[in-house]
Amino acid sequence: MGVTLLMVGCYSNNCPLNNTVTCNYYFYDSEGTAITYGDTITVTTLMPGQKMMYIYRKLGNTTVTKAYQDTTLINQGYTESTTWQRNDTVLINKLYGASSMEIPMSYFHDADTLIFTYGSISLKDTIKIQHNSYPHVELPECGTYRYHTLKSITTTDAAIDHVEISNPLVNYDGSENIKIFFNGVVE
Amino acid sequence: MPGESPKPTKYVAIEEEKEHLVFFQGFTLSVDAYGPISYLVSDYGTAEAALRINLKNTYFPIAELGYGKCEKTDYNTAVSYKVKAPYARFGIDFNMLKDKFQDNRLYVGVRYGISKYKYDIAGPAMIDPIWGGSQPFDFDGIDCTSHWAELLLGAEVKIYKNFHMGWAFRYKRELSSTKSDYAKPSCIPGYGYTTNSTCWGGTYSLIFDLNWGKKKSHKRGVNVEIRDIPQEETEKADDEQEEGAIENVENNDEIGETNNGKADESNDNEGGTEE
Repeated sequence: MGVTLLMVGCYSNNCPLNNTVTCNYYFYDSEGTAITYGDTITVTTLMPGQKMMYIYRKLGNTTVTKAYQDTTLINQGYTESTTWQRNDTVLINKLYGASSMEIPMSYFHDADTLIFTYGSISLKDTIKIQHNSYPHVELPECGTYRYHTLKSITTTDAAIDHVEISNPLVNYDGSENIKIFFNGVVE
Repeated sequence: MPGESPKPTKYVAIEEEKEHLVFFQGFTLSVDAYGPISYLVSDYGTAEAALRINLKNTYFPIAELGYGKCEKTDYNTAVSYKVKAPYARFGIDFNMLKDKFQDNRLYVGVRYGISKYKYDIAGPAMIDPIWGGSQPFDFDGIDCTSHWAELLLGAEVKIYKNFHMGWAFRYKRELSSTKSDYAKPSCIPGYGYTTNSTCWGGTYSLIFDLNWGKKKSHKRGVNVEIRDIPQEETEKADDEQEEGAIENVENNDEIGETNNGKADESNDNEGGTEE
């Protein structure tokens, strides 16, 4: 009986609990104290390719930019023009009161560009992360994963003081990878 | 019988023959029957032969050489893993049975295993769900060297003449494997699946003792035994005693009966000494 149990135990798998690999960002004030950020953060990332944007202008009204053609605005007297913009997508939408966030990384690009939009200020921050990506299989029954190794990181300084890489290996263990130091000091 | 003197004895040194096992008892060749059967009913199997040296039918230094093969594809993830490579294990068995002359053996043993191999791993193409794009997941010939240790408990019995059969349970533990960025070996030739850091395994061996029977040496040892003195010597000794007794009686008559009490005391003392 005991031997049977041990032999059964022999073939139990060790697949990780998390089946996605994300880069983990933790928030700090400018002096390095862990904080909960008290503003909404929306993170978008630039994608390969471009998309056509429709711009509607009318004297005395604010300019409206849309990803699709809007005939109702034309009927209201707006003039339409088009422009090409870099594709983007929202990774995190209006995160509030968080002390950390998890953001996936691109599989086949050398760099990811993240644009931080805040609720209370109109300025945006852009973080650029250089990294290597490679596939990894822990066990065949666990499936395939994409691991990343962080090489460098840069940022603008609208709300962010500076950024640091704390652990360059991005895998499924959930450890902190990047520290974001926001402007200001927690009293 | 009262009044009859005890039969005289003497110490005689005799030589006795004792049997001892010769230190080198020959070689033992074995093949594993479980490995090929395992390959037929699962994804992993081995073909293995072992050569043991029999020392006093007690210690068995052993070298096990084999070829392991594993081919599996996971049903859920469609990731396939292939490896086939030789392996070697070295160690020693110790026969725990008290009677080393008998042909059955119950033993414990230790092994060190090593295998240098290349494995292939492949799976569905990786697709980036956000940024887009895909890349095939197919890696061939990932170099790896693994080391492991085993503890085993086994038994074997004589079937016919020098042919034995036996089984062994093996408790295995992976010591190290070469790390790769892309994968870790999920099956090691000679070790088995690496799903856990420790694993159980087994062998069923067909064993041929390459010596025909036990080699025994006959050593001579000196032992001491108490034996009866032969009849002729006994009679001679009796005659001598009788002559001595007659002389004593004559002397006693000369001394007189007044000394009888003293003689009794002397007898009492002799009795005390004997005790």
